[in-house]
Amino acid sequence: MRTTRVRRAMVAAATAAGLVVTAACGSDSDSSSDSGSDGGVTTLTFAASTFGDPGRGPKLQEWLDEFNASQDEIIVEAASVPYPTFGQTVLTQMGGGEGPDLVRFDMPEFEAASDAGLIAPLDDLVDVEQYDLLEEPDRFMVHDDVRHGVIFEASNYAMFYNADLIPEPPTTYDDFFATAQSLTAGDVFGLAFRQTEAEEAGVWQDIFNYVYGFGGAWSDGENLTINAPENLEGLQAYKDLYDANVIPRGADAATFRRMFAEGKVAMELNNGGYATHLRAESPNLNFSVAPIPFPVRSQGAILAPIVINEASEAKEEAATFIQWALEAENQAALQEILGASSVATATERSPESLQDMPFLTVFDELTETSLPQVVLGFEAQTPDIRKIVVQNVIAALQGDVDLETALDTAQEQATDLVG
Amino acid sequence: MSRLRIGVTLRVVGVLVVMGIAVFPLYWMFVTALSSNADLFAADARLLPDFSELGVFADALADGEALTWLRNSLVIALGTTVLSIGLGIPLGYALSRFSFRGKMLTAVVLLLTQMLPEALMVVPLFALFNRFDLLDSLTGLVLANSAFVLPIVALILKGAIDGIPRELEEAGRVDGARPLTMLLRINVPLIGPSIAAAAVIAFFHAWNEYVFAVTFIYAPETQPASVGIANFIGEVGTPVQTVMAVAFMFTLPAVAFYLFAQKYVVAGMTAGAVKG
Amino acid sequence: MTLLEQRRAPRTEAGRRRSPLGSRWTPYLFLGPAAIFILLFQGVPLAQEVYLSFTRTSLLNPTNSTWVGLENYVDIFGDEDFRRTLRTTFVYVVACVAGSVGAGLLVALLLNRSFRGRGVVRALVTIPWAAPGIAVALIATWMLNPQYGIVNRFLDAVGLGVPGGAILDSSTYALPAILVTTVWQLFPLTSVVLLSALQAVPRDLLEAATMDGAGRWWTFRAVTWQVIKPTVGLLALLMTIWSIRRFELIWLMTKGGPVGSTETLVIDLYAQAFDSKQLGTAAAIGMVGVVISLIVIAGSRLVTRAAEKEGLR
Repeated sequence: MRTTRVRRAMVAAATAAGLVVTAACGSDSDSSSDSGSDGGVTTLTFAASTFGDPGRGPKLQEWLDEFNASQDEIIVEAASVPYPTFGQTVLTQMGGGEGPDLVRFDMPEFEAASDAGLIAPLDDLVDVEQYDLLEEPDRFMVHDDVRHGVIFEASNYAMFYNADLIPEPPTTYDDFFATAQSLTAGDVFGLAFRQTEAEEAGVWQDIFNYVYGFGGAWSDGENLTINAPENLEGLQAYKDLYDANVIPRGADAATFRRMFAEGKVAMELNNGGYATHLRAESPNLNFSVAPIPFPVRSQGAILAPIVINEASEAKEEAATFIQWALEAENQAALQEILGASSVATATERSPESLQDMPFLTVFDELTETSLPQVVLGFEAQTPDIRKIVVQNVIAALQGDVDLETALDTAQEQATDLVG
Repeated sequence: MSRLRIGVTLRVVGVLVVMGIAVFPLYWMFVTALSSNADLFAADARLLPDFSELGVFADALADGEALTWLRNSLVIALGTTVLSIGLGIPLGYALSRFSFRGKMLTAVVLLLTQMLPEALMVVPLFALFNRFDLLDSLTGLVLANSAFVLPIVALILKGAIDGIPRELEEAGRVDGARPLTMLLRINVPLIGPSIAAAAVIAFFHAWNEYVFAVTFIYAPETQPASVGIANFIGEVGTPVQTVMAVAFMFTLPAVAFYLFAQKYVVAGMTAGAVKG
Repeated sequence: MTLLEQRRAPRTEAGRRRSPLGSRWTPYLFLGPAAIFILLFQGVPLAQEVYLSFTRTSLLNPTNSTWVGLENYVDIFGDEDFRRTLRTTFVYVVACVAGSVGAGLLVALLLNRSFRGRGVVRALVTIPWAAPGIAVALIATWMLNPQYGIVNRFLDAVGLGVPGGAILDSSTYALPAILVTTVWQLFPLTSVVLLSALQAVPRDLLEAATMDGAGRWWTFRAVTWQVIKPTVGLLALLMTIWSIRRFELIWLMTKGGPVGSTETLVIDLYAQAFDSKQLGTAAAIGMVGVVISLIVIAGSRLVTRAAEKEGLR
């Protein structure tokens, strides 16, 4: 008697719990995100931080729509994972055997993910031979003869300046410093760069130009050279500008870029993607672009590969999308959207955009001397090395230690890390 | 006499200052949303909202994205409320009315869960949800949030049931009612205010939750507002006005809901705080 | 619904005789669904974290763990940065508790008089508690913006400006700024709870004390404080546990920087797991946090018990 009552009660309890759960969950039926096929249509998700960019995001969405309209078997949906948490969010998902089918990575995360085997090798999926890929950025897509990605966007760093405030751009570092200093007055700053820990990835991009522009390098390919004298010199230049108060200290990129658009910041080192953004957001701003005036013509480049998630259940379909993206006319359209960035293949810039932004050629001429912002020879550990370097450099900016000691510490910690 | 007057004046000034401190940041959110670029980046702050800029709210809602976020947040918050109350009432009842083996253990476990940071549980929960296909779904977030808020809810409800005289149930028992019937017929109606308080706490918890949402959700159509808004802290500037406009619209329902249920919440917060 | 009432709750008779409410399985039926739920979504993950804390595991390959015994614990306790994190956590928690309970008590005393519009005032004052943490982090960051933030403009105007205005970017001022923001969000809760505790202070005792010509401070200590002491203690405990756990506000405002000056345990744990991708280290840090919370709770029980004995004697 008792046992039956217990059993009946258990069933009732389980049913009740089940009902509550179902009731609470009845509201989202449309949430299955995985590459699901439904009536012969495969839906892919494509994660890229660029989709959230108010300037370029909507146009990229239109570009995707064109793919979706071009055939009726695959639908690519944009997933806008925000830039600040992009790496951690997407890598967590991919590490868990989940995540978007297609991902546009930045180099450090690309390297870490391909090293961990989270990215599908492309050799058997996409025949790249038939496309005219730009050699310089493309060589970073291949590790030990295995291709892990295709360039989605490559963007060189240059000096953006407000042409109303600066008629003639500086051509030497001293000139650059003096210009920044003379323009800093009242609520206007001569220069802006990232210098807060909350923007670790951004600081890394910004200091890269100072290190390489003064002849330094993070490694010689075999060993780390974080505390090399050239690096010290370059980062000292960065710190001098910080100490001279010619930048809006503490301002994050979102704020100081708005300030640049409002004419409150005169110069900024940034990549080509920014040009389109500025044109879209502030059509009346009179700005121009020149090469970074540091002693050595060597600067960073944003390389953003598009990759296929190893965990994707629809790799063939994802590859179909990449092939579509590599077709000449779609590359040209992508090029127009991305502006001063270049794409995977050589494309001609349209006369209209050249007339609108005559400085586009400046970026194109820098391709030979631009390097991706990774530590050569230690690509997969770049995110960890980045954290160490940025923390120590910021400690020096804060005045907690002098820069030389900070770089020595960083060298030591990073050497420990890479073993 | 004059000392008394000074005392009264001091009190009035004190109350005004406290009110100002409490409300100012939200007021400032509103003012910032309603500022032109020129005012925002001017050398002097403009202290009053510029109502000619009201369009910012329409702009922020224009592409439907923000509305989707708010809708998702609402679904998650309501789901969490229903589930945690649904499980919390019987749990609170069991803790209040029965003595059984493992009762002490249950109480300790409930207290223990109060100390676990969400950040600690993200990775194992991710693996668990992955197995049950709960990633990128509002259901998953409802379950995760409910697990975190259920202990407080149960403790508040236990406290409320403690306060109901047993005699009422004894009478019911004589009539041959079963425990579940008694709980639903006798206790639940009497603890209405505490259920409301627990509901508000569960709702807030889920409305605000960020860590799980940012990790478990990747499709834009399932993103809740907490993540959507945090995404504004981006690389290229989303206009501060838009950020503040959406943040304000995210804050407003919570505050309105709170003011509406204030009477219960205060009682509930008291109970929850004292026992939580 | 105070602790006092709870203590009065009749539980002795239920403990002695068989439950009057059906069979001895009945409680488990009520308990069951919630217990299964909590076990599944809290117990299982927690057990996994305990295991992870003894392994080396990468976020990028979480199913592939190497057992390393106590290595993670040895590593974190040998790390100067982690000791700084512990110190920062301690400072943050103590200041949060003192700030929120102190401010709450002041506000409660201020409102503990009936005056016209008190209901409205109380509602408005408690609004910060209802504001979502993310929105609070955003507005606080904007208010503290070095160039255009209202806080800096105000500080400059009264001559207290921070050089360069970079409050959140300074290893000296970032933690205080976060503390003020936290207390702003917490004081409504503490003040409302304390306000209701103050209502329990017997009026006649207060009046008698005043009649006897006792000073205000003396009256407060001898009468009011004695009544609200248990509530203050419980609030302090609650604030401690919550402050050890707090994440969004700090993460969104500073990410633990600059130079680790605002890095609490939970921030460190999150950064280890998601920036450094070391799930094992992160789990070990989490366990340290859980143990600290347990010690706090156990300690507070001891104090309460001692105080009760004191009262009996």
